[in-house]
Amino acid sequence: MGSRIEILNEAGFRSDGRRQFELRDLSIDLSKRGEADGSAQLSHGLTQVLVSVHGPREAKMRSHTFHDRANINVEVVVASFSTGERRKRLRGDKRVLEFAATIKSTFEPVIRTSLYPRSQIDIYVQVLQQDGSTLQACINATTLALINAGIPMSDFVCAVTGGVHSTSPMLDLTTLEENDIPHVTVAVMPKSKKVVLVTMETRLHVERFQELLNLARDAGAILHQEMREAILERSAGLIAMAEPGMKQSKGDEDVVMD
Amino acid sequence: MASSISKAESAYIQVGLASTPPHRLDGRALNDFRTISLETGVAPLANGSARLSIGRNPHDNSGGTEILAATKLEVETIEDGGADGGRVVCTVTCSPAAYPHLSSNALEDLQHDLTIVVHQTLSHPSLHPDNLKIIPGKKSWLLSLDLVILSDAGNIYDALFMAARAALWDTKVPKTRFIEYKAKKTGSTSKEKDGMDVDETPATTSGFDTRQLTNATDFELLDYWDEGDVLDGRELWPVCITLNLLPPAAHFLDATQVEEAAALLKILAIFAFPAVQSSRLQGMHMLGPGEVTSTQMKTLIKEAEIHARELSSALNSKVKDEDVRRNQKAADSFSRR
Repeated sequence: MGSRIEILNEAGFRSDGRRQFELRDLSIDLSKRGEADGSAQLSHGLTQVLVSVHGPREAKMRSHTFHDRANINVEVVVASFSTGERRKRLRGDKRVLEFAATIKSTFEPVIRTSLYPRSQIDIYVQVLQQDGSTLQACINATTLALINAGIPMSDFVCAVTGGVHSTSPMLDLTTLEENDIPHVTVAVMPKSKKVVLVTMETRLHVERFQELLNLARDAGAILHQEMREAILERSAGLIAMAEPGMKQSKGDEDVVMD
Repeated sequence: MASSISKAESAYIQVGLASTPPHRLDGRALNDFRTISLETGVAPLANGSARLSIGRNPHDNSGGTEILAATKLEVETIEDGGADGGRVVCTVTCSPAAYPHLSSNALEDLQHDLTIVVHQTLSHPSLHPDNLKIIPGKKSWLLSLDLVILSDAGNIYDALFMAARAALWDTKVPKTRFIEYKAKKTGSTSKEKDGMDVDETPATTSGFDTRQLTNATDFELLDYWDEGDVLDGRELWPVCITLNLLPPAAHFLDATQVEEAAALLKILAIFAFPAVQSSRLQGMHMLGPGEVTSTQMKTLIKEAEIHARELSSALNSKVKDEDVRRNQKAADSFSRR
C-alpha cells in the first residue's frame, strides 16, 4: 500500500494542505433556480449542496398545518453519484430522514413562523457532492436560501464541523478526516452567540468538547461574514437591476447589520 | 409535468400556434429551441458528468430545465448478476424542488416513468459499448447513469437524453489489465499478460484447439496520467426529439410548460446516427390522448429525423469544445506550475 496519510503532520499541515483551523474554499451562488422562492448553492471545498425554498405558501395537506404558525417541511435528496462509491439512497432511507429532521429542528426556533399561520415553508435540499461536513454545508446553504426567499429569521445560522486529532482540534473536516477522528457539528447564531445545534456520533473527551465548542463559535462568526457579504452583493445586484438610473453609491445609509 | 392551465389560456396558445405566421409566447419559431447550455466534468467524483440546461435566462441564471447527469463505473462479477460484456443501468431522480406541486407519491411515479423510458432506450444491446469488459467471463463494468432533474420548465425528455449523451461522452473507463497466475516449474509466482495473447502454448493442447481461453483470475488498475479510455461508441448515443402535435397537421419543438399543457399529444422520437448518412430510430413513444394517421406519422418521423440530426451535430461540436476547454485548462494549470 502507499504511505499512510497523516491527518496532521509535524509542520501543522493537514492531508489537503490546510492548517489546523483553516476552513475550505467557500463558494456561494444565490442565483434563482427554477420556480423556487429562494435558492442557494453552496460548496465547502468539494462538498456541494443546493437548497431551494418554496414558501410560505398554502399547505399541500391541511392536516399538517398549525393554526398559529407555519409548518416547516424539509426534504433531503442525496445524489447517488455524490460520494466516491455509488450508493442509491431511497427516499425513505432512515439516515436521510434523520438528516432532514435535524435540519428542521435547527431552523424551527430561528424562522419567525408565527408570522405565517396555516401555511407551509418547504425546504428542499439536494446534496450534489460529498466530501465531509455535509450537515454543515446543508445548514449554511439553507440559511442562505431562506434569506434569499425573504423569509424572516431571528439571525443567521452558521454551522461548522470540528474534530480532534489526538489533542489538536481541527475545523471543517473532509471525508478522510471524518472517517478517522471524532467530530461534532455545531450550528451557532453569530449575533447572539447562541448554539442552535450540536450533533455528534463519535466519542469525544469532555475537555476537547469544550475547546471545540468555543472554536466553532469563532468559526461561525467567520462564516457569518462571508455569508453576509454574499447576501449584500446579491441584494446590490437586485437593486441595481430594479433601478438602473440610480447612482452607484456606497450604501452608507443602509442599516448596519451587526 | 403539465401544469394546469385554464381552457381560455390553452385556446389562446393553440390559436397562436395555428395561425399564420405562428405565434409563440416567447416569440420563437415553431422549430426553435431555447438556449441550451452544457458543461461537462461537473462531478469530479464520477467517471463522467454533465450539467445541461434549456432555456435558462443568461442574465441571472434563473429558470429553465436543468439536468445533472453522472456516470459511475463499478466492478461486477458475473455470478452476482453481471453480464459478460458489462451492463448499462439508467436512473432518473426528480428533485422535489423541480416539482413543488407534486406529492411524494406522484413524484415517485413520475421518476419511475422517466426512468423506464431512458433505461429501455439506453440499455439496448444495439448501443452497448464494447469496452466494458474486464476479465471475460468473470468481471465486467457496471455503468450506472444517474440523471437528476433540478428544475423543469418543459421539454424534459429532450433534456434528459441530451444530458445522458453528454455524460456518456465524458465517461472515462479506467484501464485494466488482467493478471494470470501460473505456477512455473521452477517456482516463481506470477506472470502478467496483456490482452488475450497466450504466447506459450502448453505442450498438452493440440494444434486443432483454437479456443482462446484465459486463465486470468484477477485484474489490476493501471496507473495512468489520465482517467482512462473513453467509452466505446460514444458517437452512437441517441438524441430525443419531442414533437408536440397540434391538430390537424402542425407540430412544434421545445415546448415550455404552458405549451405542453396546451398541446396534449406528444411524440418522442429517439434517433441514433451511427454514420454520417445513416440514422437509426432507437425508440418511439406517444404520450397523451389523441390519434395520428399513419401518413402523418411517416411525415412526422421524417421531420423528426432532420431535427434530430441538427441537434446531434450541435451537441457533438459542443461536447468536443468542452473536451478542449477542460484539457486546455488542465494543460494551462500544469504549465503554470
